[in-house]
Amino acid sequence: MRFAAAVVVSAVVLAGCAPVQSGSAPSGGDERSGQLRVWLFDEVNRGPKEAVVKEAVTAFEQAHQGVTVDVQYIQVQTRAERFKAAFSDPRSAPDVAEFGNTDLAGYVAGGGFAELDLGGWGEAEDLLPAVLDTGKVDGKVYGVPWYVGVRALYYRTDVFQELNLRPPATLDEIAPLARRIRAAKPDLLGISAGGKYTYGAMPFVWANGGDIAREEGGKYVSAIDSAESKAGLRQYTELIADDICPPAQCAGNGGDASVEAFRAGKAAMVVGGDFNRKSVDASAAAGKYAVVPLPGKEAGEIAPAFAGGNLLGVMRGSERKTLANEFLRLLGGKEYQRRMFDAMGNLPTFGDVQAEVARANPVLEPFIATLEAGTRFVPVTPNWAKIDAQAVLPTLLQQVAAGGEDLDKAAAAAADQMNAAFAS
Amino acid sequence: MDKSVLRTAKGDGRIAFAYLAPALLVLVGLMGYPIYQLVLISLFDYGQEQVSGGAPLTFLGAGNYATLLSDARFWSVLGQTVGFAAVCVAGTLLVGAALAVLATRVRTWARMVLFLAALGAWATPAVAGSTIWLFLFDANLGFVNEVLGTTGLSWTYDKWMAFGLVAAQVIWCSFPFVLVTLYAGIKAIPGEVLEAAELDGAGAVGTATKVILPLLRPLLVVVTIQSIIWDFKVFTQIYVMTSGGGIAGRNLVLNVYAYQQAFAASEYGLGASIGVVMTALLLLVTLGYLRALRRSGEAL
Amino acid sequence: MNRRASRGLAEAVAVAVAAVVAFPLYWMVLTAVKPQAEVLSADPRPWTLAPTLDSFVRALTVQSFGRYLLNSVVVAVAVVLLSLLLSFLAATALTRFRFRGRTTMLIMLLVVQMVPVEALTIPLFFLMRSVRDVAPVFGLNHLGSLVLVHLAFSLPFAIWMLRGFVAAVPVELEEAAALDGASRFRFLWQVLFPLVAPGLVATSVLSFIHAWNDFLFAKTFIISAAENQTLPLALQVFVKPDQNDWGAIMAGSTLMTIPVLLFFILVQRRLVAGLAGAVKS
Repeated sequence: MRFAAAVVVSAVVLAGCAPVQSGSAPSGGDERSGQLRVWLFDEVNRGPKEAVVKEAVTAFEQAHQGVTVDVQYIQVQTRAERFKAAFSDPRSAPDVAEFGNTDLAGYVAGGGFAELDLGGWGEAEDLLPAVLDTGKVDGKVYGVPWYVGVRALYYRTDVFQELNLRPPATLDEIAPLARRIRAAKPDLLGISAGGKYTYGAMPFVWANGGDIAREEGGKYVSAIDSAESKAGLRQYTELIADDICPPAQCAGNGGDASVEAFRAGKAAMVVGGDFNRKSVDASAAAGKYAVVPLPGKEAGEIAPAFAGGNLLGVMRGSERKTLANEFLRLLGGKEYQRRMFDAMGNLPTFGDVQAEVARANPVLEPFIATLEAGTRFVPVTPNWAKIDAQAVLPTLLQQVAAGGEDLDKAAAAAADQMNAAFAS
Repeated sequence: MDKSVLRTAKGDGRIAFAYLAPALLVLVGLMGYPIYQLVLISLFDYGQEQVSGGAPLTFLGAGNYATLLSDARFWSVLGQTVGFAAVCVAGTLLVGAALAVLATRVRTWARMVLFLAALGAWATPAVAGSTIWLFLFDANLGFVNEVLGTTGLSWTYDKWMAFGLVAAQVIWCSFPFVLVTLYAGIKAIPGEVLEAAELDGAGAVGTATKVILPLLRPLLVVVTIQSIIWDFKVFTQIYVMTSGGGIAGRNLVLNVYAYQQAFAASEYGLGASIGVVMTALLLLVTLGYLRALRRSGEAL
Repeated sequence: MNRRASRGLAEAVAVAVAAVVAFPLYWMVLTAVKPQAEVLSADPRPWTLAPTLDSFVRALTVQSFGRYLLNSVVVAVAVVLLSLLLSFLAATALTRFRFRGRTTMLIMLLVVQMVPVEALTIPLFFLMRSVRDVAPVFGLNHLGSLVLVHLAFSLPFAIWMLRGFVAAVPVELEEAAALDGASRFRFLWQVLFPLVAPGLVATSVLSFIHAWNDFLFAKTFIISAAENQTLPLALQVFVKPDQNDWGAIMAGSTLMTIPVLLFFILVQRRLVAGLAGAVKS
């Protein structure tokens, strides 16, 4: 009896209270001196990046007396928690930050980044429009693309030469080709296709005419269970089979692990990024590989690639708005994008700089061609972060490839989960 | 009359309170308040937009709980968690108890060797321990596969093998607590009792089960409850060793499921409701266990 | 089987078990000192003839390694000391005195251990943010916040364990002391405290492990002050199985484990004696 009374009392007490919130949005300020805080992503081999950034910092500090720039390198794995904490506590937040373009919509909804005004910045005209789009939410720019990353098909030239093969000209040719290679060389994977490698699988879906989601009256609706999407999914998941890439080895692999298998010399093909080039050059597959764009359905077509990349943005609560914007324009501008390419191999996002870099580095040709053929992106909504965190697409791929589930059922379930997230 | 309690004198209440105050302050402030917030959060639609984006709060009442309990995935993960925790607890208790009895039958040097190894396992941080085991059982580079001649076999692909591997790791780093606690308990048993058992003709195993274990009952209760609480909440080992829940999430346990579906996805209201449900479940299990013990005549 | 043979068999089993249990740790250190080529070979050997510190060098290029190590030590030691003090006082109060709500409090201490910690990070985050306005050193971005949180999480278990020890000290001892004219206070510190020392050692070990291994709260509370990071958080960049740099991963793991191991070795004798007291509960 007393227990019941306690429950009632607690219910009443609770009903009158509300969870804590971080308070009204910060307005920030416009100080012209002091410390400017910058967060950039940490890399496994950070040296080259740090060197370039130091140059930018020195140049900036010299041009602005009384201003110091403090750069912190944050780990990619824990970036989500750090950014969310920064949004909830503006005092801990930086002024300028590097972040992934797929995280953009969620961060904007979380009240983190300020809208950028690119007017008056001459260089902005040369930003590739498709790439700049990945920095926009509802038509407003919240991040300047710092580099773009696309994927193409890496293959082993020595293996192909030995077996008298040519790189696939259409998407349909990939599976038979991979089977032949593995049949002739049983210790090689025909193609290293990971079960968690969403960005390697999506081009198959897109090339078949499908998509992750489509917009309907301002809201997103999942399209992963359409006939075209399923055709693409079928084409990708049939690669994760014992005669090409056995599930026991491949079903748990994401992008990194898939490329790792190629680097170790254990795979004949892999869908890899331009950002993987340097590390493949330093691996067992060095000198024995070439890259072609991932082909589309018909000969001569290129499968649409995912336009990955990182953006630079200014935080909404920054106390040094003008300085932050100026530093962003410096670090994200043509000069330093060029230097970042030299240091890290990061593909610049300005049309002219990219063309210049492509001319000087013919190895980039397949990646540039892929970019120019048209890239795709994820649904631009804060709910995408939910779908990403809940691993809906990787689970779908794994269920079919390794769990032996029926593709129609799995796709329907995935679509349901996505629609629930879109609606929330 | 409880012999450990002093005859109460005047002003004792105040002294007791003074002793309790510091701990109480820390606990109420840093645990009581957040737990209260936790229950509150579970009643609202609370995401990152509400936390830092200035979006308004919507009261859902039991909405999050309804969503949770109507999700078939939740129930299958719950079942897996209970099964997994049961295996871990049973394994930890068995290994710990058996080794504790063993430790009483050997000379000091052997006991020290055993204890030092156990302490090493206990001291290893969960992340480091999980990674070491992952490497030892790696399909291509792992030592275990080389010794067994099964190079190329993946220990984390098959659902049950993956669970088995993680359970082994959890038992490896949990048994030392049971070992040391029970060993100390056995050491405290008066020598005459053990001698009497031996004179009666009980062998090692017989003594262990019929004499030692019953005397250790209170200790076993404490150790079992702690193990249940810890093993039900396992996160790191599953997360690291099955890459976040295994192929298509078939190796998920409740805490990892909560992280993936709720916390990483910024669905904090849902996450809070999972937290409340987990606490309630553990409470039920513990109360059930204690009641069963009381019925069998044991006092706490 | 005669006594001697049975004991010999038991000892053999004990040593064999110890070898199996310790093997993963041996493998961790071995891999950390193996040259890269041997680590990645398909033919791993349980020894190496060419030990090298290369992997450690890679792991130690984590900048400010010394600073992070110090941070972890400071937090862990502070938690241990405070937890000893607070749990001792609380356990004494809960065992020696009779007052209303005593049982409820004990049960609450048990229930509180059941809450999954991850679920509490957001409320605690905002709490620490508020604390920062009052006492900065205990607030967000400072080590004090980690100390407070780990203290709170290790107290319930510590109090439960110490209860048994305090209960084991006979009441007559205190009554005799009172008769001799000793004040309550003096009894507490000069008699009771040393008597429950083994129990204090046991709980301090657990508090140390808990504070040292923490990752979640360091990740949540230390946002912009990178110099206040703790070691596990900083070493995490290496613990990425996808990356395949197992040598550096093992080196990082070794560095994470050694301090705890040292602490254990320091207290191991007292530890066993310590947990004996739990019997009395």
